[in-house]
Amino acid sequence: MKEDDFLVKMVGISKRFGTVQALKNVDFTVKHQEVIGLVGDNGAGKSTLIKILTGVHFPDEGEIYFEGEKQYIDSPKKARDLGIETVYQNLALIDLMSIARNFFLGREPVRKFAKVINFLDRKKIDTVTKEALKDIGIKVRSVDEEVLLLSGGERQAIAIGRAIYFGAKLLVLDEPTAALSIKESHKVLDYVTDSRERGLSVIFITHNIYHVYSVADRFTILEHGEKLGDFNKDEVSAEDIIDVVRTGKTPSRL
Amino acid sequence: MKDKRSKFYSSIALLLRIHPEFGALLALVLVFIVFCFTATRFLSLESLAGIVTVASELGIVAAGITFLMITGEFDLSVGSTFGFSAMILALTANAGIPLWIGFLLALAAAFFIGLINGIITVKYKIPSFITTLGTLMFWRGILLAVTGGFAVRYWGTSSFLNGLNGHFLGEFRISSIWFFIVIFLLNIILTKTPYGNSTYATGGNKEAARVLGISVDKVKIINFVICAVLAGLAGCIQFARFKSVDPLRGTGMELEAIAAVVVGGTLMSGGYGNLIGTLFGVLLMGMVRSGLIMSGAPAYWYQAFIGIILILAVITNTKLKGWAIK
Repeated sequence: MKEDDFLVKMVGISKRFGTVQALKNVDFTVKHQEVIGLVGDNGAGKSTLIKILTGVHFPDEGEIYFEGEKQYIDSPKKARDLGIETVYQNLALIDLMSIARNFFLGREPVRKFAKVINFLDRKKIDTVTKEALKDIGIKVRSVDEEVLLLSGGERQAIAIGRAIYFGAKLLVLDEPTAALSIKESHKVLDYVTDSRERGLSVIFITHNIYHVYSVADRFTILEHGEKLGDFNKDEVSAEDIIDVVRTGKTPSRL
Repeated sequence: MKDKRSKFYSSIALLLRIHPEFGALLALVLVFIVFCFTATRFLSLESLAGIVTVASELGIVAAGITFLMITGEFDLSVGSTFGFSAMILALTANAGIPLWIGFLLALAAAFFIGLINGIITVKYKIPSFITTLGTLMFWRGILLAVTGGFAVRYWGTSSFLNGLNGHFLGEFRISSIWFFIVIFLLNIILTKTPYGNSTYATGGNKEAARVLGISVDKVKIINFVICAVLAGLAGCIQFARFKSVDPLRGTGMELEAIAAVVVGGTLMSGGYGNLIGTLFGVLLMGMVRSGLIMSGAPAYWYQAFIGIILILAVITNTKLKGWAIK
């Protein structure tokens, strides 16, 4: 397979935090318009791997290719500029700021004043936020309201809405359904399939194998910082995946 | 009916949340009314000019602290920076160096002090309370050691100093114009530019801001510098008023400025607050200072009074916000 058939190709990634070997020589790939379920038990290295891809950590060893080109993703800004948007477990929302300001934080649209000073384009910020949230079916009372006042599900929806709006190529969801009700979880799963239909690739990290199984095309399983394997959906059942995660072994028939 | 009423309440609550200065405005009006009865000639132009003069010099320092406090950091060294810059202007002036050059040197020194505060805090990840407590002592110590404890007086006259803090409209001082310019500019940066957004985000949730691509360390260092340069500017402006400076100038000013900022509704934990609140806060301080004297109370009562106002204002702010968030 040619290199540029992959959207993301991470090769031989290792990362050590002090005495803890968080990742050991891990290869990880995402194809175009593919939903990948990244699964594994606590401490398997899922979050570390993702944080390396999104520029929060820099790997000790290994290379990252994005759309076939080698990239040094040394800051979250670099990752966002490449078209990688992430919804972190803690959602990365600023409680005391309004929904609209949170939506555009770090990439605010501006109007030039006297050709030098950048002023926030408040009108654009408000209207685009309103429209983008409406597009994916999120209702809010007012985009001027602080995030502080929203429920867990609403906050999740804002964070995902923001990622979908800006996520030009790759959407990374870290435990997106962990704190949600059944109804809210299903909405998130719908967002994932919608995103794939619109041409995006998605990395879905979770403990809940049933959630990820319903939307993913392929699974990558990590254990103690090493990769146990990649499995296409037609090769495995949800129970098989749970077995692999639980025992840390790949059954011989797979 | 019920829906209409809750809508009314929620719009009031939103107003209270986006206007942290409300508590300070309330206090300002109350104190004003009290002094109108107790202080003779409180309602005069001279009295107003006196209040604004005190408030302006403190206010320029407090404006910088507001900016930094919203970033989630703290600067206790502003009083030392204030004195240090004033002393540089005084010494260079007496050495025959043109005043505008001395002024730029004084601001450059303040810039340097702020840069050090910022870099130490960010690089070694220590609380800015500690960093700036250290630099407060360090720069004050240097100031005392270099001057041997003696005051420095400038005997010349200069249009430059008049421009910094001369008279206009009778008893008013030009410092008030500088103060309003500072408040106006910082307020625009804070509310109308992406940099203001980054400042609020850095103070509100540093980690979230970082993963969204904001260089939080850079924002912090820049705001330490802004805070220090404004303290230096205020020091030069006060020197222009007195034409003299002693090595203890600005001692205790940091606490007074922090009190004004907190009374104005800015949160010490960062991410929330504005400059209008600080404007009200310093006007309140100025009003209490002149009002007490005009009421015939000994000047010592000022601190006691401010202490009570500080606590009452923060209780009010906390209660109002608690209600507004529900």
